[in-house]
Amino acid sequence: MGMNMTSQNKIMRAPFSEELTALRKQLSEFIPLLESEPHWYGSIYFERKRSRVYSSNQKQNQATDQLNMGLVLRIYDGHTLFEEATDDLDLHHLKSFISAFIQRVKASAPPQGVSPRTYRVPNWKEKLSLKLDPEIRSQIPESVSPGTEVHFGIRYEQDPLRLSTEGHFLRLAEIISQIKEKAKQVGLAQEALSFINVRQSIAVEDSFFLDRETNISQTLYRVALTLMTMCGAERTFLRVGGLGGMETVHLTDPELTQLLSDLKALTQAERLVPGKYRVIFGPVVTGVLAHEAFGHSQEGDTCARGRSKAWELHHEGARVGNEHATIFNNPAIFQNAGATYAAWGSYFFDEEGWLAQEQVLLDQGKLLAPMTNLTSAIRLNIPRTANGKRESWSSGVYTRQTNTYFSAGDKTLDELMELLGDGYLATQPAGGMEDPKGMGIQVGISYLYEVRNGKLTGKVLKGPAGGDIQMTGYTPDVLNAIIAKSKIDVNTDTPDQSRFPYNDVGGCGKYHKEFVFAGCGGPYILLDPVILG
Amino acid sequence: MTQLNWTLDELKHQLNIHEKIKGWIITEEYIHRRERYFLGENSQLAIDQDRNVHTKSTQVRIFVKLTDPARQGEISKKFFSALPLKSQLESSVEAALHTDYQAWDLPKLPASQEIPSITTLDPKMAEDIDQAMEECTSRISSCVQKKRNTLFNSAELFMAIHQRELHLSNGLTHRSAQTRIYTESAFSYSKRLKDGKIHSDEYMSTQWAVHRDHLPIEALFDESSDRAEHSLQVIKPQPGKYSVIIDSEVLLTLLRGYLSQLRAAYSYHGLPFIKEGSEFIPEATGDLLTITLDPTLNYGASSTSISNQGIIQKPLSVVTQNKVTSNLVDQQYGHYMKLEPTSTEGNIVIEAGTLSYQELTEYSPQVLEILQFSGLFADPHSGTFSSEIRLAKLHDRKNQTVTYIKGGSLSGSIRENFKGLKLSKSTVMRSHFSSEQSHGDGYLGPEYALITDVSIVG
Repeated sequence: MGMNMTSQNKIMRAPFSEELTALRKQLSEFIPLLESEPHWYGSIYFERKRSRVYSSNQKQNQATDQLNMGLVLRIYDGHTLFEEATDDLDLHHLKSFISAFIQRVKASAPPQGVSPRTYRVPNWKEKLSLKLDPEIRSQIPESVSPGTEVHFGIRYEQDPLRLSTEGHFLRLAEIISQIKEKAKQVGLAQEALSFINVRQSIAVEDSFFLDRETNISQTLYRVALTLMTMCGAERTFLRVGGLGGMETVHLTDPELTQLLSDLKALTQAERLVPGKYRVIFGPVVTGVLAHEAFGHSQEGDTCARGRSKAWELHHEGARVGNEHATIFNNPAIFQNAGATYAAWGSYFFDEEGWLAQEQVLLDQGKLLAPMTNLTSAIRLNIPRTANGKRESWSSGVYTRQTNTYFSAGDKTLDELMELLGDGYLATQPAGGMEDPKGMGIQVGISYLYEVRNGKLTGKVLKGPAGGDIQMTGYTPDVLNAIIAKSKIDVNTDTPDQSRFPYNDVGGCGKYHKEFVFAGCGGPYILLDPVILG
Repeated sequence: MTQLNWTLDELKHQLNIHEKIKGWIITEEYIHRRERYFLGENSQLAIDQDRNVHTKSTQVRIFVKLTDPARQGEISKKFFSALPLKSQLESSVEAALHTDYQAWDLPKLPASQEIPSITTLDPKMAEDIDQAMEECTSRISSCVQKKRNTLFNSAELFMAIHQRELHLSNGLTHRSAQTRIYTESAFSYSKRLKDGKIHSDEYMSTQWAVHRDHLPIEALFDESSDRAEHSLQVIKPQPGKYSVIIDSEVLLTLLRGYLSQLRAAYSYHGLPFIKEGSEFIPEATGDLLTITLDPTLNYGASSTSISNQGIIQKPLSVVTQNKVTSNLVDQQYGHYMKLEPTSTEGNIVIEAGTLSYQELTEYSPQVLEILQFSGLFADPHSGTFSSEIRLAKLHDRKNQTVTYIKGGSLSGSIRENFKGLKLSKSTVMRSHFSSEQSHGDGYLGPEYALITDVSIVG
């Protein structure tokens, strides 16, 4: 499935919001003020996130409407990144705000005995010399210059803003109806289905970044649909979504059937005996493994803080996995596997104005340079990458992952299952946690499917206490335990058509807080042994 | 952008005169936050980022009349003063008209003298947050310069003042303020192995508080340094079932989720529900839990005088000697289920036990004391929880040894592993805030708890 580029189908892109035009112009005039000292690097980041959430259960139809909007003034003085963030966009107030901010920075004493690390701002020529996805390059005017207002709009097919509130609730009611019907088909009594919730979220995210060389904006449409079904305390989830239009939230019959079959199976599930096992991870669980492994340890600010073993190992050239262990981070996935829409963790530029690019973090077991935000790139003296992200405009910027995934292999799913023989299939994630210095790892799994002789037995297992299962271990041991990987197109023998594996809808917390959106995915991978408990 | 600032009074007026609107709740919050991110540079404290944040939000919950008087519509929306008021209001009402809830009414306006006064503000932080930031930075700098076997890696310091105004369409206006402070510190320890390779690990400690006096910065830094040093003297646990000591932070995490099963809303929606009169922990034989939700604790993270629905909050006994003594009934769901509303907010206060920390460590032949979980995930519906073990101590009573443990995972269930619960006699106060916008979670209770028969895999 690829983009339909016939002359009848016009590419539709999210436009820049006209009501932000005047603000963008006004703010760009403030940049020289933020660079009033010769060694200062000044920039401004603005974001506006508007979201509507429609939610239905058996007793209520609910709606929320949120708008979060604010800007961040930034001065980097060679030692410290100073930020002043506000949602007061009144021009007179902003002028006072900037004045007070500049005074604050001037009053801060630089550290003793430390030379400043000056930042040299790259120009457009330098930025365009990097390898950029066509989706990005095609939206940059040919004669771009510092004053050019460049806008990147996410591509979509079915306008997510067209459907009315009534239309959304009718759609959710239809899905609930389908769930009840499917429940009967899989043998789940209606009275046993104690809770159903369907939630549709649609967000419009506008942002722009300004510095002396750059004036760029982007508008993303973020759409997701989440289904939750419960039988008593047992619960199954299904979540679909991406960046684009309503085409990102298409549900299939097999997905709904699986959701309810699993719920029924959970009510009769046995408990796993903790131990070492042979397991196939599905794409999302594979993505969580990539995210928690190298992943978090390859976040530049963690390296700059001395908190990552990966930084030392990268310099030693040490191997931390076998030939199957190749992990990417990529905010520029504008076609998610075979889909025509962008992956959840994608964008055109990060919140510090760096254009999105694919990056290899781990290459067949060998660590490469980490992801960065501005200050970590400067401190580590390595190239910048597009990984400066915040929970919102009011939060600080950290090095954050975007879409993190394993590279694909060459097996079909059937071939992997045959290789597995007796073991388990894990496709439902339940969180995870990194240990960047100690190199432990935790990947949560909601439940396992039992496999015997390469075939699913229909049995489902929960953790030893009846809850989630945790895969834990020493990260290099786990990455050396990968036996084989599937293709992206798992059910065909032919070479992959898609460039990237599927990256699922997800999120990430850093240092136990600071939540951001992130995609994670990859192929199916077969590992032996892994510790499950 | 056109600046179309409107006032709160204008918003209230428009809400009151709108023919479709039957009621509303406005929560206005102004937050001033300072943040510093530190790292070590040439054995000194360096400031990587220094932030100042001002944010104001106006969150409105609007209730609208539907054709069927037994039903109503509702929407929660953040209103922005830089955007036109009328268009925000009309789009909200239009959307709310398509939602569907069983109808309910806000409570009668309580007499102002009935609303208790609670202390939730660190006065010095509130008076001059920048000065408070400088003082704490100076303390952190001293902690970093203290001679240690470990290496300081990084720290963060956040201070915030939250000022809130609650306005209800029944005439209630209530003002409150809360300070919040967060600190984390990370230290690492290294040693050179015989083959020349460097073996290293780290430990990060974090803590929240409402008042600076409840955030022992120096002790936190000493703890992370000490535990980093022990992180290299570790072995993996042997698989099996253990008696496990968990601390107050873990107790707060587990119980705040599990206690949601006492909410009337859960019963209404068919979610797992523990009703009044039931056993809180089925077949409990250890220390029987007595839990109060107390919204009046000075500097409690969950302290509040009045709920967002206008119900005065008072201490509420929810569990007494393992029996559920009260469900949590807010105005909305009380209306639905024909129950009297109760307090629904408050810090979790647990009656202390009788054992000392030493006695807990000797309770079983081997006791695993969790110092830190890597990432504790707890399911509020089933009461199950699991995590990798970041660092623990294995107390062996027979051999009189204490061994540091790292790795492996723990898998537990409140319903199963809390049966033989033993609580410490020492108590602590704890706070946790998961996001800027939400109320916090507060705790006052046993510093440690011992749970039994917990599955561990190495």
